[in-house]
Amino acid sequence: MKKLFDTGNAAVTEGAILAGCSLFAGYPITPATEIAENMSRRLPLTGGYYVQAEDETAALHICIGASLGGMKAMTSTSGPGYVLYADPYGWAIGSEIPVVIINAQRVGPVSGITGAPGQGEFYLSRYPTHGGNFETIVLAPGSVQEAFSMTVEAFALAERFRTPVTILADQLVTDGWESFEIPENAEEALSLGLYAPARRVHQGPCFYPASDHIDLPPVVLGRGTGGACSDWTPTEEGYDTEDAAAHMRHAYRLIHKIRRHREIIDRQESYMLEDNPKIVLVSYGSPSRVARSAVKAARERGLSAGCIRLKSLWPFQDQLFRRKAVYMAVELNAEGQLVREIERASHAPAHFFGTCGELPAASALLEAIARLSRGLPPESLRWEREAW
Amino acid sequence: MLRKEILISGFGGQGVVRAGQILGYSSILAGLRASMLVSHGTETRGGYVRSQVILADEPVDNPAVERADIFCALSQAAYDRFLPLAAWGLTLYDPYFVAPAAPLPSAHLALAARGLALEKSGRELAANMIFLGAALRGLALIPLSCALQAAREIMPRHAESNTLALEAGYRHCTGEEAGPLGGNGVFLQPNPKKG
Repeated sequence: MKKLFDTGNAAVTEGAILAGCSLFAGYPITPATEIAENMSRRLPLTGGYYVQAEDETAALHICIGASLGGMKAMTSTSGPGYVLYADPYGWAIGSEIPVVIINAQRVGPVSGITGAPGQGEFYLSRYPTHGGNFETIVLAPGSVQEAFSMTVEAFALAERFRTPVTILADQLVTDGWESFEIPENAEEALSLGLYAPARRVHQGPCFYPASDHIDLPPVVLGRGTGGACSDWTPTEEGYDTEDAAAHMRHAYRLIHKIRRHREIIDRQESYMLEDNPKIVLVSYGSPSRVARSAVKAARERGLSAGCIRLKSLWPFQDQLFRRKAVYMAVELNAEGQLVREIERASHAPAHFFGTCGELPAASALLEAIARLSRGLPPESLRWEREAW
Repeated sequence: MLRKEILISGFGGQGVVRAGQILGYSSILAGLRASMLVSHGTETRGGYVRSQVILADEPVDNPAVERADIFCALSQAAYDRFLPLAAWGLTLYDPYFVAPAAPLPSAHLALAARGLALEKSGRELAANMIFLGAALRGLALIPLSCALQAAREIMPRHAESNTLALEAGYRHCTGEEAGPLGGNGVFLQPNPKKG
């Protein structure tokens, strides 16, 4: 293994190269600029292509074009660019085109503070485009090491499920520096389970079967027979149709190819949950690291607390919230997004601890745990419950 | 479990991030784990910069500095803003840029980094390496040789001046070349407030 001390952006680049990415198109934006920068240096050396797009909409369209041409493609951005992906994102979902998207979340709305972390695109990553009738796959790295391995995994999932996969990171993960290790050769990568299947070519004609099957090769234009890959509803043979029954079959496939294979997608890490603690902190990305150290400190003080770190966000892992506990979502936003999903999944009110543009202090989280264990609500912003 | 928190802050162009990067990489060469959070204003030079480095013997959980073991204050603004975080640790400051609080609220060591850098390496920009050398000695965790190797690998063009500066900063903290406020070994004593 090669030991490095570098940013999450560098780790994403290494992961993409290992996964066989051969095209990157993007529009540089803080805090994901370095991904574009690194890819522009690395890809030409591996026979790949770097395209500087005129905007993010074009960037994802270019990635889709490359993917339809048989290449593995990736793009990266932060919130202001992620919203511009909305149009091509839907095309990639509907025509089942594999592509990997990195969103390094920063604090918003709009440009907000460019160099500060945020977690405002939790729901946007579930509904990244219009029209409904689909399910999405979203992963959330919490460290630089994970940014590396999850990029490889995202490519693997994109190929297997024939769908865009979003890696929802945050500024502290992408701009943050950390020690991490990368395999030096293919054997080492394989032994770590870091493997993204090579692109295969669908030979047709049944491009979009009315089934939940995965591991079907995607359409590669000009190879095999047919498959229009327009942005209209396709028949199973891949041609445009306006038949509602055909659309129903298509929607069934888009939703259930993902929902029925949750075991491949679901990822989470729990800490101190073995003894069914009274209080459970739930988070993803960089705040989860503070949550973990707060739980550790709480345990040292004899408080009954544990935490769950979500490593995949969508489909949401409802099954994790069946145990009876007081849940508190720890998020880098001030309105509470993850907390709503926890309330839905656990069928009970949940608490919310939000910070805006910076990590919560472990001491503040510890105080919140202490308050919860006395039956008091946590105080992060002091107005969050009233605002609801 | 080992955990050391190092906060380095100053203004853009002083090499705050570079010092953190070399510190992080040195710790890997010494077999440790490291993380560094960097925050800065939008200016290329002159704005505020902060780098928060955590060293540990297992993957770092909380990457933010909440109780700095070493605080390197490279500017007055940084000193004023972050001194409370170093209440239990050692604050290193350059009297050329920073007028310390009086009376000193915590352990301090004056480090004429700018002057030493000019004198030892001829480059004012190497002041960050003076700080890093002194911080390494204060940490007593990573051998100087690891930092020298890290600096060489990361900045090969300035290998010579950085080596001289790192060594000078390191020696300064042993008392050999300490100024009137330094060399009292205050940081080498376990701080009774810590724990």
